[in-house]
Amino acid sequence: MKRNLLGIRHLDPTDITYLIDQATDYKKLITKGKPVDSLTKHVIGMLFFENSTRTRTSFEQAAYYLGLRTANFAAQASSMAKGETLKDTILTLRYERLNGLVMRHRMSGAPTLAARFFGGPVLNAGDGQHEHPTQALADALTIIERKGKLEGLTVAIIGDVKHSRVARSNAWLLSKMGATVRFVGPRTLMPSHSGMLPGQVYYDLETGVADADVLMCLRLQKERMESGLLSSLGEYAKLYQINRDTVRFAKRDAMVMHPGPINRGIELDDAAADSEISSISSQVENGIFVRMAAFNFCFSETDNAPKPSKTSKGKSKA
Amino acid sequence: MKTLLKNGRILDPSQELDIVGSLVIEDDQIVEYGNEVDESDADETYDCTGLWITPGLVDPHVHLREPGHEYKETIITGTQAAAAGGFTTICCMPNTDPPLDNPALIDFILDRAASPEAGGVFVAPIGAVTRGMEGKVLADFAALKKAGVVAVSDEDSPIQNAAVMSNAMEYCVQLDLPVMAHCEDKSLTEGGSINEGAVSAMLGLKGMPRSAEEIAVMRNCVLSLHTGCQLHIMRVSTWGAVEMIRQAKYLGAPVTCDVSPFHIAFTDEMVVDFDANFKMLPPLRTQVDVDILLQALNDGTIDCIASDHSPHASHEVQAPFEEAPFGMVGIESVLAVTLTYLTHTNVLTPLQTIDKLSTAPARILRLEAGTLKPGETPVAQVSVIDPNIKWTFDVNKTFSKGKNTPFHGMSLKGKSMLTFCGSEIYRDAYFDDSRYSIID
Repeated sequence: MKRNLLGIRHLDPTDITYLIDQATDYKKLITKGKPVDSLTKHVIGMLFFENSTRTRTSFEQAAYYLGLRTANFAAQASSMAKGETLKDTILTLRYERLNGLVMRHRMSGAPTLAARFFGGPVLNAGDGQHEHPTQALADALTIIERKGKLEGLTVAIIGDVKHSRVARSNAWLLSKMGATVRFVGPRTLMPSHSGMLPGQVYYDLETGVADADVLMCLRLQKERMESGLLSSLGEYAKLYQINRDTVRFAKRDAMVMHPGPINRGIELDDAAADSEISSISSQVENGIFVRMAAFNFCFSETDNAPKPSKTSKGKSKA
Repeated sequence: MKTLLKNGRILDPSQELDIVGSLVIEDDQIVEYGNEVDESDADETYDCTGLWITPGLVDPHVHLREPGHEYKETIITGTQAAAAGGFTTICCMPNTDPPLDNPALIDFILDRAASPEAGGVFVAPIGAVTRGMEGKVLADFAALKKAGVVAVSDEDSPIQNAAVMSNAMEYCVQLDLPVMAHCEDKSLTEGGSINEGAVSAMLGLKGMPRSAEEIAVMRNCVLSLHTGCQLHIMRVSTWGAVEMIRQAKYLGAPVTCDVSPFHIAFTDEMVVDFDANFKMLPPLRTQVDVDILLQALNDGTIDCIASDHSPHASHEVQAPFEEAPFGMVGIESVLAVTLTYLTHTNVLTPLQTIDKLSTAPARILRLEAGTLKPGETPVAQVSVIDPNIKWTFDVNKTFSKGKNTPFHGMSLKGKSMLTFCGSEIYRDAYFDDSRYSIID
């Protein structure tokens, strides 16, 4: 049964455990230079409507290690620039006999739409503000490597949660795996109503990170000032920066994470940024291994395969 | 030609009438009705046992898309759809291309609506408030009224500037022209595609806060109160808006309002998989809002029901949620949805149901419709409804060009069986032809 990976919120804890375990196995094999079981020769379309060197390269590496071929599509050069609809683009890729699709798009829900028409697995590489499932899996792996587990940890996600797909995917994953999630930031950058998102909202940094095990700092985008949601970067830094002083509110051995690129002096001061740098290389590497696990999850049949992730209702409405 | 509708439940809210009886249409006019009609010499007879006989339904909010967007719908297909929905009078909205800010366009619409291929229903056009619906310069209201508009509206480009709206209303009082308003403060909703709430926060979609609707409702009610201009608020969706309208009515402002069936059937939770068939304007709200809307329909704060029939091409709706257009087709489902969600749940009595769907909109817009009284409408406008028939809504069997509806595949209870506008303009596929007898 082929599966999509459209978001963490559709997954069960068993799915997530399976993916992380699989990624860990791949990591062991690859770092020791051993071959991995390759998937049947599939061709994966890489449909990136938003630029992304890091994520795209990561998926390509993952594909390479598994013996998958990739076919790249640059949105600007594509027929969509000539006005073709997304639906028609997806159908064309389907008829070109691509076996899978990795898709990044600036609109939330675009991969969900693609999955209705593609006829094969669709992996979400980041859609608007909705989800970035493989990023969350990579972050989870990094946390487990440092902390040994996810269950029982308190993770504070700090910054522009409202506009962050990374925050949403992480919140789903961490809470499904038994961690406590907190969202910390100014009210205008917090989700308007938190009822359906698994995170408790804090406007005050000190209470928000009190005794936290992990501090996940989101990158602040300058557009937020332009659209009137924030007064200034300076004000934000005064209230929410993780630095030598504020990091003390968390646990002594708290780990600081940042998806990068870091705005030094805003989300993190130099000291925190430098101490965080050391974990960046493993975060990036882990991205490759979880993406291998994601391909595996979507394409292979396994004995103890978790039940298929729930995506669209499957009815094609007119 | 004498047509006898025999033995049905006659419901006419304009006369508080709810009796079992028969109705006679002769030479396209209603001549009599009741339990003692002259049944002799009828050329054709319809056995209406178990069915309702009501004034033809009236929809104050329909998009016929012509001129300019004929790929979505035309006046021909839209009026055919209206007849199939049980409607004999509909009002078409001005957000066409070009918009209805010019009397020549009104003439065009009335002409097309009267053509033999059309559905045979009356079309009462709604003119634009401002030229090009740009919210700046007022349209020629007197000329538009003379050409046949029954009200004016800037529909989904609501006037953002209070001074412009105030001037428009003052002018309209003078001409006795109602202003129909979609209430939205666009500075708050820019970029939004869904209700701002737990669902939008979860999905990462920019939300349209309820305050945007409520601020505009309040502003327009205040202007109506002070100018005396008749204001009809379209598609109320929040409990706050309902409360403000209640207050405005209490203060004596000449305000009325309507609700669309999707706002009482669904909440924003239906959007969880980004299905743009649920993308509405105003957006689907929450259960609290639905509950208050139902109460407000029952107590009369909400005066009537309008379909907001908004056909779109399938390819437009099968798009990322943010990009897809707002709205669903509705004229062929609004009656059934109302019966299923409001009448059969006892929120509305049968008489109230017909009031909301016929008599009230006719009264609000001063249309010659919504009543069975002989001579009060240009021709007989009668709808025969089976309130109990269970059926599955199949959008592929509808007359409208637009197939964008979340009701496809859903079970509904109640349907329009026959529509008369003068003569019979619609007979439903579910109508049992053995009920029909004709004398050669």
